[in-house]
Amino acid sequence: MKKLVVLLLSLVLLLGIVGCTTTENSSSNSGSENDESKEESKKVLKLNNGSEPTSFDPPIGFDSVSWNALNNLMEGMTRLDQDDQPQPAAAKEWELSDDGKTYTFHLRDAKWSNGEPVTAEDFEYAWKRLANPDTASPAAFLAYFIEGAEAFNTGEGSEEDMMVKAVDESTLEVQLESPVPYFPSLVSNPAFFPVHKDTVEADPEWHTEADTYVSNGPFKLTKWEHDSKFVFSKNENYWDVANVKLDEVDWAMVDDTNTEYQMYKTGELHTSDVPADLSEELFDNGQAQVEDQSGTYFYRFNLDMEPFQNENIRKAFAMAIDQQKIVEFVTKNEEKPAHGFVAYGFEDASGGDFREVGGDLVTTDANKAKELLEKGMEEEGYNELPNVTLTYNTSDAHKKIAETLQQMYKEVLGVNIDLANQEWNVFSDEQKQLKLQFSRSSFLADYGDPINFLESFQTGHSMNRTGWSSEEYDSLIQQAKEETDEAKRFELMHEAEALLFEEMPIFPIHFYNQVYLQNEDVTGIVRHPVGYMELKDAAIK
Amino acid sequence: MAKYVLSRLIAMVITLWIIVTITFFLMHAVPGSPFNQERNTSEAVQQNLEAHYHLDEPVFIQYVIYIKSLATLDFGPSIKQSSTSVNEMIGRGFPVSAELGVISLLIAVISGMILGILAALKHNGVIDYIAMTFAVIGISVPNFIMATLLIQQLAVTWEIFPVATWASPVHMILPSIALATGPMAIIARLTRSSMIEVLNQDYILTARAKGMTTFQIVTKHAMRNALLPVITILGTLVAGVLTGSFVIEKIFAIPGMGKYFINGINDRDYPVIMGTTVFYSAFLILMLFVVDIVYGILDPRIKLHKRGN
Repeated sequence: MKKLVVLLLSLVLLLGIVGCTTTENSSSNSGSENDESKEESKKVLKLNNGSEPTSFDPPIGFDSVSWNALNNLMEGMTRLDQDDQPQPAAAKEWELSDDGKTYTFHLRDAKWSNGEPVTAEDFEYAWKRLANPDTASPAAFLAYFIEGAEAFNTGEGSEEDMMVKAVDESTLEVQLESPVPYFPSLVSNPAFFPVHKDTVEADPEWHTEADTYVSNGPFKLTKWEHDSKFVFSKNENYWDVANVKLDEVDWAMVDDTNTEYQMYKTGELHTSDVPADLSEELFDNGQAQVEDQSGTYFYRFNLDMEPFQNENIRKAFAMAIDQQKIVEFVTKNEEKPAHGFVAYGFEDASGGDFREVGGDLVTTDANKAKELLEKGMEEEGYNELPNVTLTYNTSDAHKKIAETLQQMYKEVLGVNIDLANQEWNVFSDEQKQLKLQFSRSSFLADYGDPINFLESFQTGHSMNRTGWSSEEYDSLIQQAKEETDEAKRFELMHEAEALLFEEMPIFPIHFYNQVYLQNEDVTGIVRHPVGYMELKDAAIK
Repeated sequence: MAKYVLSRLIAMVITLWIIVTITFFLMHAVPGSPFNQERNTSEAVQQNLEAHYHLDEPVFIQYVIYIKSLATLDFGPSIKQSSTSVNEMIGRGFPVSAELGVISLLIAVISGMILGILAALKHNGVIDYIAMTFAVIGISVPNFIMATLLIQQLAVTWEIFPVATWASPVHMILPSIALATGPMAIIARLTRSSMIEVLNQDYILTARAKGMTTFQIVTKHAMRNALLPVITILGTLVAGVLTGSFVIEKIFAIPGMGKYFINGINDRDYPVIMGTTVFYSAFLILMLFVVDIVYGILDPRIKLHKRGN
């Protein structure tokens, strides 16, 4: 019997060693239930952030899990309104010099959540911190618009030569490398958020816990249980606090879309993504809502590999694809089919949409595709087309589209292509090194201007990844970047896009969108095509 | 005994060092980098990032730097979640995973052994068949199916339990059950087969002849011997279950450490890969050691200190 006791004890010990460390954790949460009675008068929005934010330090958390939330904690010079136009935020107004290169921002009387005033110096400090190579910000390239920032970031220049300067407490002067008409929209980006200089200098870890976090936006960070949830409450020091309708935003971190959807159904969340299996049903009964997102799903040809050195063969492969069919029967997510590279939503000087003015630059045409393939093969002296392998990064969604392409090539061109998939990191590496013959790609805009899309295909650009190079294209992009006249600038960009499709190093499938479910009681959440979620005007019944 | 423990400890450190070295070089041999985002960043920005994390140094230098910091038990900062250190990640995630693991192991061990013993006692009877059908289902249904099923039925349809998260003891019930079914089935089957073997031994017959009740025989004589194979797998099971289950934690949105094993590799977050590997290996090696010690206590025929003679 004694031995049995020893045995049981050792078993319990074995299991217990670790068990005892965990008890404190479970008790700390029970307090939240006491508050429930008060919550009826309190306006609480329950959202899902998906996972732990990578960082709430503005220049570091360069992804949507950080910046969607951060966009509501902090506020830059401007904030995008419902029509995606920049409105005065931390700045009450700004002026532009005649050469289009110097912006002068005038700050309003605003306060940080700790009661200190938001100063021009905070902005100067934050923007220089973004470009500082020691910060190692993945978003640092966004600062390159500012004169001297690129040199500072690459270690060739100094901090003093980066031309952003606090003239006085409430005036910030910025000199740009070239005229950037969309600069006011660009500075709404979280990379350009100010930080409270004294706090950052005193404590480099200020952004890692709720207690030490100092913000200037509509909300402040009141609770952060890492890996499980965080809580925002209304920032009573915010300059426009009278117009903030929510008292609190609770952010869960649920990574699994099915679970998120179940929580949405039981009322534990107010919004949810749409699980892939249910998208058809949820679209049919009108629950799924759609918003544009500035980005393009496309394929890259590798011009260094046969047979895609030939323009006509590339065109044949592009024209054989029916984008409309893909969005209708394969992705079934109500995306807009893409017949150009720049997405919808960019207005030119006369109010026309860039995409609509640019028109369809690649169209589905089976006969023409066959003709071009024959012509191309003749030009190259092929009796038989060299083997073509289409590579995508491993995912069900990409696989479905790739298989559809395979089918379309067989039907339209009579060509059998092979499919291959690779784990994301391997895929991305090989694509950059031009080791893939024909590969799946995507682009999401970082700022709201067509040039952001088009600059990708300049010679040697890190997003080019096709081996395509055109002096004419490079010069068109350069001219567009220097041009101060809006109408002319758009003309140059249209010209560049048309040239891209004349040589066809890529072809598009569809533009991205944001599909979501939202509780009927919730209003006022703004989701921009380029930019991050806005909760300033959000309300709940 | 002390000598045995000491020699085992030295062997454990060497094993760990070999694991660290192999993992480190394998990980750097795999293509990709932690900064491979689909979105565009410039070359200069990439170089700044690499310099920031010493990834621009030769791999061997990086290895030396890593071993040095490992000697002080510092796993370094995560690259992906740059404001968190790997020590913090493990410090936050492990207690949660361990809590879930302990509850599920208790469920698995207790229910598994009861099922196994009952099945063995009623060998080839109805209870045996029912218990073993249960066990086969437990082994063959993957835990993510079990988890989804539990959420759909008990949380969404009947609304007895919350869907997910780790906020209160009620939230722990569904994930613990989902995680326990697999181990429970394994334990049930093992207990059954070893019990059947033990129950046929002469000493059980003697005990019965002396007039002991079945309950006494099982608890006093049979179970102790029948437990040996269960203890054997318990070592690996404990290490596996307590360090977190990626799938279960993802489905139930539990802030454990299971996700770091998978996400670390997907993101090529080198310090996280190393940290989780070292932690898991150390834990597993320790558990195997504990199992050996428990053997000695359970079975007097195994004399640890005479090993090697």
